[in-house]
Amino acid sequence: MSWSCEQIEARLSDYLDGLLHPAELAEFTGHVHVCPRCAPLVASVSSLVSGLHGMEAIEEPPRLVYSILDKTLGPRETLAGWRAIFGWVRGIASIRLAYGALSVAATLIIFATASGFNWRHPKLADLQPATIYRNADRSAHLAYAHSAKFVNDLRVVNEIQSRLREENDLRANPESTVPESSPQKQPGRSDGSKPATPRQQNRANDLARQVEVLAMELPAVCGGLGGL
Amino acid sequence: MEQDAQLVQQCLQGDGSAWEELVRRHSRRIFNICYRFTGNGTEAEDLSQDVFLRVYRTLVSYRSAHGGFATWVTSVTRNLLIDHYRRTKRDRLTDSLDDAMPVVENKASTARRPDELALLGELSGQVQTALTKLSPELREAVILRDLQQLEYGEIQRVLSVPEGTVKSRINRGRIELARILQQMGVRPS
Repeated sequence: MSWSCEQIEARLSDYLDGLLHPAELAEFTGHVHVCPRCAPLVASVSSLVSGLHGMEAIEEPPRLVYSILDKTLGPRETLAGWRAIFGWVRGIASIRLAYGALSVAATLIIFATASGFNWRHPKLADLQPATIYRNADRSAHLAYAHSAKFVNDLRVVNEIQSRLREENDLRANPESTVPESSPQKQPGRSDGSKPATPRQQNRANDLARQVEVLAMELPAVCGGLGGL
Repeated sequence: MEQDAQLVQQCLQGDGSAWEELVRRHSRRIFNICYRFTGNGTEAEDLSQDVFLRVYRTLVSYRSAHGGFATWVTSVTRNLLIDHYRRTKRDRLTDSLDDAMPVVENKASTARRPDELALLGELSGQVQTALTKLSPELREAVILRDLQQLEYGEIQRVLSVPEGTVKSRINRGRIELARILQQMGVRPS
C-alpha cells in the first residue's frame, strides 16, 4: 500500500473520469480495498457523480424565451383592428396545413355522401345518428345491388360474345368438325376432341338460335349497363 | 456548432429569426446553469435574460475561431453569475447570521417552496440545496463538469484558469458535495 489517503483523495476524480494509468489504477484500487477511510469516500463520491450525470435538465419557464426576445429585439408588434382579428391566420397558414384541411374536408364529404346526405336539399334531420345509419344502410344495399347487377350483365355479354364466336367458327369451317381418318390416330378431331354427334349438332343449332335471340336483345342490355 | 456560427452571422446581418433560433437552442442550458448556481428560479430567470441581453449586445465581438458559441455563452453566464454572487454577498452574510440564530423560522427560510420541489424532484432538490452550500469556485466547476457535462478543455476556456486548477476544483467540489449530502443524511443511488 504505497499511496496515502491524501493521494487517493487528490486523484479521486481522475479515477472516476478514467484518467489513471494502469499502474496508478492498481495503486488506487489496492489502497481503497484495504483502507476503511477511503473506501466509503470513493463509494459516496462515485454514486454522487453517477447521480449528477443522471439528472435531467430542468425545463425553463415558457415565458423566458419571449422575455429575452422582447428585451433584445424589442416588444413584438401589437396588432389592432382586422389584423388583430385575423392575425392568427398568418400563424397557421402553411401548405401542409392546407393539404391536411383539404383531406379532412374531402373525407367528410365522402362519408356524408355515402351516408345518403342530400346536398341539394340539406336538412338538419339528416344529421341525426338514426337517419345517418338508415341512409348508410340503404346506400350500402343499393351499391351492392348495383354492383351485383353490373357483374351479371357483364357475364351475359361475355356469354353472348363467346357463343357468337363459336357460331361464326362453325359457319366458316363446317368440315372442320368432321375428323380426317388416320391410321395412326384414334377417330376424333385434330385437336384430340371427339367429333360432334347428331345430338350435339342439334344442340349447337339450338344454341345458335338462342344466340340470335340474345343478339337481338343486346342493344337493350347495353342500354341497361349504360344507365348504370 | 457550425450551425451556431452560421446563425451568429445571420444575426449580425440583422436576421431576427436567427437570433430567436439561437435563444431557443441555448436558453434551457443557460437557465439550468443559473438555476443550479443560484438555487432560485426567479433569480435564474432574471440572470438568463441578462446573459442573453449581454450576448446580444456583444455578439459582434464573438469570433468562432476562439471556441464554440456555446462555450462563449457559458463563459458570459459564468461571469454574470460571479458578479451576481459578489453583488449579493452582503445579503447572504445577513442571511447566514439569521440562520445562526436558534429560531423556528430557520427551517422555513431554507426550505424550498412546493413548486420548486416539484420542479426538481426530491433527490435533485437535496442536491441543489447541497450545491448552494459549496463555494462559488467549486460549485461552478461541479455544475459545468457533472451537470452540464462539459469537457475539461471547455471548462478551462469558460473559467479562464489552468487545467490543473480545473481538475483540482472539480475534485474538491465533488468530495465536498458528497460530504454535505452525507451530513444531510442523503445517499444518492
